[in-house]
Amino acid sequence: MPTEVIMPKVDMDMASGKLAVWHVAEGETVKKGAALFDIETDKAAMEVEAPASGTLHHILAAPGVSVPVGSPVAYIYAEGEAVGPAPAAAAPAAAPAPAPAAVAPVAEARSEAVASTSATKPEAVAAPVVSAPVMAEAANGPRATPVARRLAREDGILLAALSGTGPNGRIQRHDVEAEIARRKAPAVAPAAQPAPSAPAYALDWTPQAGDLHVTTRKGNGVPLVLVHGFAADSAGWMALERALPRDLPLVRIDLPSHGRSPLRRIGGFAELAKALVQTFDRIAEGPVHLLGHSLGGALSLALADIRPRQIKTLSLIAPAGLGPEIDGAALNGIARASTADSLAPWLKRLTARPDGISHDFAKAAMLARIDPALRAAQQELAEVLFPDGVQAFDLTAALERVTAPTLMVWGRDDRILPWKQALAAPGGVALHLMRGVGHVPHMEDPDAVAALIGRHIRA
Amino acid sequence: MNAQTHIKEAGSKTREMSYAEAIRDAMAIALERDPTVVLMGEDIGTYGGAFQVTGDLVDRFGKDRVMDTPISELGGAGVAVGAALTGLKPIYEFQFSDFAALAMEQIVNQAAKLRYMLGGEAAVPVVFRMPSGSGTGAAAQHSQSFEAWFGHVPGLKVVQPSTPAEAKGMLLAALEDPDPVIVFEHKLLYKMKGEVPEGYYTTPIGKAAVVRVGKDVTIVASAIMVHRALEAASKLAAEGIEAEVIDLRTVRPLDRETIIASVKKTGKLLCVYEGVRTLGVGAEISALVAESEAFDYLDAPIQRLGGAEAPIPYNPDLERAAVPQSPDIESVARKLAKGEV
Repeated sequence: MPTEVIMPKVDMDMASGKLAVWHVAEGETVKKGAALFDIETDKAAMEVEAPASGTLHHILAAPGVSVPVGSPVAYIYAEGEAVGPAPAAAAPAAAPAPAPAAVAPVAEARSEAVASTSATKPEAVAAPVVSAPVMAEAANGPRATPVARRLAREDGILLAALSGTGPNGRIQRHDVEAEIARRKAPAVAPAAQPAPSAPAYALDWTPQAGDLHVTTRKGNGVPLVLVHGFAADSAGWMALERALPRDLPLVRIDLPSHGRSPLRRIGGFAELAKALVQTFDRIAEGPVHLLGHSLGGALSLALADIRPRQIKTLSLIAPAGLGPEIDGAALNGIARASTADSLAPWLKRLTARPDGISHDFAKAAMLARIDPALRAAQQELAEVLFPDGVQAFDLTAALERVTAPTLMVWGRDDRILPWKQALAAPGGVALHLMRGVGHVPHMEDPDAVAALIGRHIRA
Repeated sequence: MNAQTHIKEAGSKTREMSYAEAIRDAMAIALERDPTVVLMGEDIGTYGGAFQVTGDLVDRFGKDRVMDTPISELGGAGVAVGAALTGLKPIYEFQFSDFAALAMEQIVNQAAKLRYMLGGEAAVPVVFRMPSGSGTGAAAQHSQSFEAWFGHVPGLKVVQPSTPAEAKGMLLAALEDPDPVIVFEHKLLYKMKGEVPEGYYTTPIGKAAVVRVGKDVTIVASAIMVHRALEAASKLAAEGIEAEVIDLRTVRPLDRETIIASVKKTGKLLCVYEGVRTLGVGAEISALVAESEAFDYLDAPIQRLGGAEAPIPYNPDLERAAVPQSPDIESVARKLAKGEV
């Protein structure tokens, strides 16, 4: 008999849940514990795991349909099990009865019939409710009140770059006003900027189609997914990879307009996070360890917020999104530099030991970003993500919500993102502030960072 | 509230009286001022009215001016409409607004239509007084709030005074109006006392009053809900939440300007009304705000608190639960003000 997939009760006073999206199509195979569908309740959105491994059949609820708690929404057939007609709602001890394989709307008559005694009721669905404002925003564009939209329009603020403090992450008036106030406040950039003038970035680049570029290193066990920082790419993990356990499988994702991924026009942080989530959904075969650096750290945080059940552990190296301050001049400088000579001074700022940045290193780095269109796209992205040299997105709330064990590594000599932003972390986060290290600890001291991460993901 | 803001010809002196007394005062002044004013209704004469609103007026003005009519709302309302058509200014009292259901033909099909259908050659300056609302333990057939019903009919004006001073001023304004006016008098307010200006004055129809100034959330309420909203607002003030309370006063025509100006200021709107929530007065206010220039100022979804989707129950606990109470208003307004809706 197939395993019944029911609408779980995730909230004390929840009577029904709205099915948001199926992650698995009818007839596809699914593993127990994998994300099966998302639901939305009045209070939250969350992922529901597959209660069994097998093939999904008889999907009874289409996206957007509300289903009473306890009602079946689909059935999973074990491997080799003959797929019959859709079973009738499993009243206790009832034998499967033929019924048409109805698609939505759900037969309401079933709602009462399903008893909690159903033998196959999945235990796994009694998971913590995870609010996913980032997801809501990523899926439908920013959720904002009319006045927030008007103020943002009038002040030229990109709503997608804001995080709303209202219900379901809704951007409200005071969120926009806070952003306006922040922009009007005197710059908090570090002293002595060699090139303070805003770059007139070239707009002559064309967005490209296609999926984000993903590379893997084979191994055994749960893979570690790597998300690089702004203006970097997956090649930047090389030193760390060599120091990590040899058999640890790795999955490296190149962000849009980075490395070998297509150039994309990104409207804001949420859109960038959406691109990462889409790629993650495409490649993830089960829960993973997740590691992100800088902007990739912020995106990893967003991903962990959106797909909490897919993340076994989270490691963040100098993550963005935990405070407004950032060295905007360095970001623009790196994005803009067209020669090794103009790139080198900015690269030196990334590390606590600038002498380590040789001319050859700068030349190699420049070679990776020799495409003017890529540089233009990155300059534009910098302006969208860090307008006026400020981090225009805030992930402190997401950090509060993260349920996976979380490790944070920060260099005390970080001149791009001040390490004090690490203090935004709640008590459960393991915080490592490294001496004599700048913004790229995984390059500056890969052995130490690898040891920390290795211990973290084994724990 | 400051009654002086809407008084046209009042003397400076005021006197404390109940809502019912203020209405009686208005009728006495009208009967004295204008020989064409007559009162009609069931038991309004010798008995003094179902809620003792007309009281002793029959003794003071005689049975030709204060007329008991038979137990037929359709007949009584018909006589009043006919009298209005032919030169009198009748005030017809329903014992309960619920019974207006019996007189719908005269109110909706005749009184409201005749000016239009006779090319402006005729006017129906009739006033219908309707004791309305729940809270008296009178159950489903004597407790309803029909403001939205009549507010839906072009040709009628519909008012809901919330204080003694308003009750007097709006009744006198209704008599001045050349068209039919329905005055909903909330039964729980009849005994409410307040300072009422002496002498003749009118409170304008179609003009709402800001009865408490605030910046965090706008509460539009009418009749007894104004008082519940004010009670909620003063509790919220202790928490630092400043609610602006608007006494709607007139359901038709609605005072768009006052509501829109307030919502543009606060960005949050809560409509509170006793009538059934669905398709109620608050639905119309909500829609007019959403359609107006105030839309771009909204910082939260518009909220409504209205009557339950059920007949008013007899059981006192259920009766209370069936219409918005002060804690309900407080709770929703707080959430709105805090950006939690």
